[in-house]
Amino acid sequence: MIAITPATVLRRRSDVRYRRIEGEAVVLRQSAAEVLVLNEVGASVLDLADGERSVGEWIDALAEEYEGNSITLARDVLAFAAELAEAGLLEPVAGRSEP
Amino acid sequence: MSFGAGFLRHPDLFPARRAGEPWGDRALALDVAGGPYLLSGLTTAQEEALRRRFGSLCGPAEANGTATQVFRAPATDFLAIDTRGWEYTLDLDPAPDALQVAGLHLMARLGWTPALAGALWTPEPAGEEWTSVCENYLRLLTAYRLLEEGGALLHSAGVSDGEWAWLLLGPSGAGKTTASRLCLEGGGTVLSDDLNAVLFHEGTARLRKLPFTGDLGERAGGPESVPLRAVLRLAQGEEEGLRPLSPAAALASLVAAAPFVNCDPFRRETLLAVLERLARAVPAWEVTFSREGGLWAMVKTIR
Repeated sequence: MIAITPATVLRRRSDVRYRRIEGEAVVLRQSAAEVLVLNEVGASVLDLADGERSVGEWIDALAEEYEGNSITLARDVLAFAAELAEAGLLEPVAGRSEP
Repeated sequence: MSFGAGFLRHPDLFPARRAGEPWGDRALALDVAGGPYLLSGLTTAQEEALRRRFGSLCGPAEANGTATQVFRAPATDFLAIDTRGWEYTLDLDPAPDALQVAGLHLMARLGWTPALAGALWTPEPAGEEWTSVCENYLRLLTAYRLLEEGGALLHSAGVSDGEWAWLLLGPSGAGKTTASRLCLEGGGTVLSDDLNAVLFHEGTARLRKLPFTGDLGERAGGPESVPLRAVLRLAQGEEEGLRPLSPAAALASLVAAAPFVNCDPFRRETLLAVLERLARAVPAWEVTFSREGGLWAMVKTIR
């Protein structure tokens, strides 16, 4: 299990392809035949996983975009990022985690 | 398992070029979606077997089309496979400009130089075994050709009332053949209960009949096409009904139903674009049906 903190920097794996379509995202891993559908927030997380911004910055960006409890949002985003990393869609960027 | 190891005795000796010893000097063209497909290097017996299988879709090999040369391969090149209860598969090895294929008594190579062309090596001289090898190769070739035409081959059932067509999707066991039979009993026609072609014509998605059927549908039927009314994801249950699917859910189902190409990392991006166009162009529903219910009447309400 990959430990994800707000300082972690993640990027989409190079074999991940996705399409945003009416808010949702359809995600393919090139090396596997599986297809995933992510909701609007999940699609936004994929957009944000550019290998530049930390997970904490994702949370800030999503808090601006979506209303709601910021503590709950932070907890959900950290958990979701861990799930996507576990599923092989995201990977940590070596040496890019913020202090 | 490395490429070909499930089918071939010497996978490392897989032909590196589209070359070999032709079986004969006969040739024919097949008028199938994405075609015509020109097959050359056939014996008379192989040609006649294909004419029996594909009937009026066969024509003289004069037109331009996607060429495939057929070559001999020694039977000893292939592993003996017990096909009782075996689900047919092909082993694919994609590359940017080529695709190697191994299967039951077949080796094949597709190449883009830049036009798509193929080669098929088999030890089958004639008969049902030969036509099965050839049909399995043609299914693959059709998938790649349709993609070049901005269309797709879809593992699906295609049903029609003559004016419109509906595409029924679902994984193996979802009930495509059962659903096809229910539509047939209700008065509809079945284009194929196994593989269908979707192509765009003047901006409209159309379902085109293919001679690749399971238990239902006409192998030798003409190349008719019908405008596509909706994509339906099948679910079996006691309470029948229709539930709208989001375009993303429809796209995911379509990608999962696109054989061969959806496992090809060099062409999946194109496939995604083609199927996204389809998912945006045609409404999608999840249809829950029972064996005793009125599936066809429910399908026809989608207008």
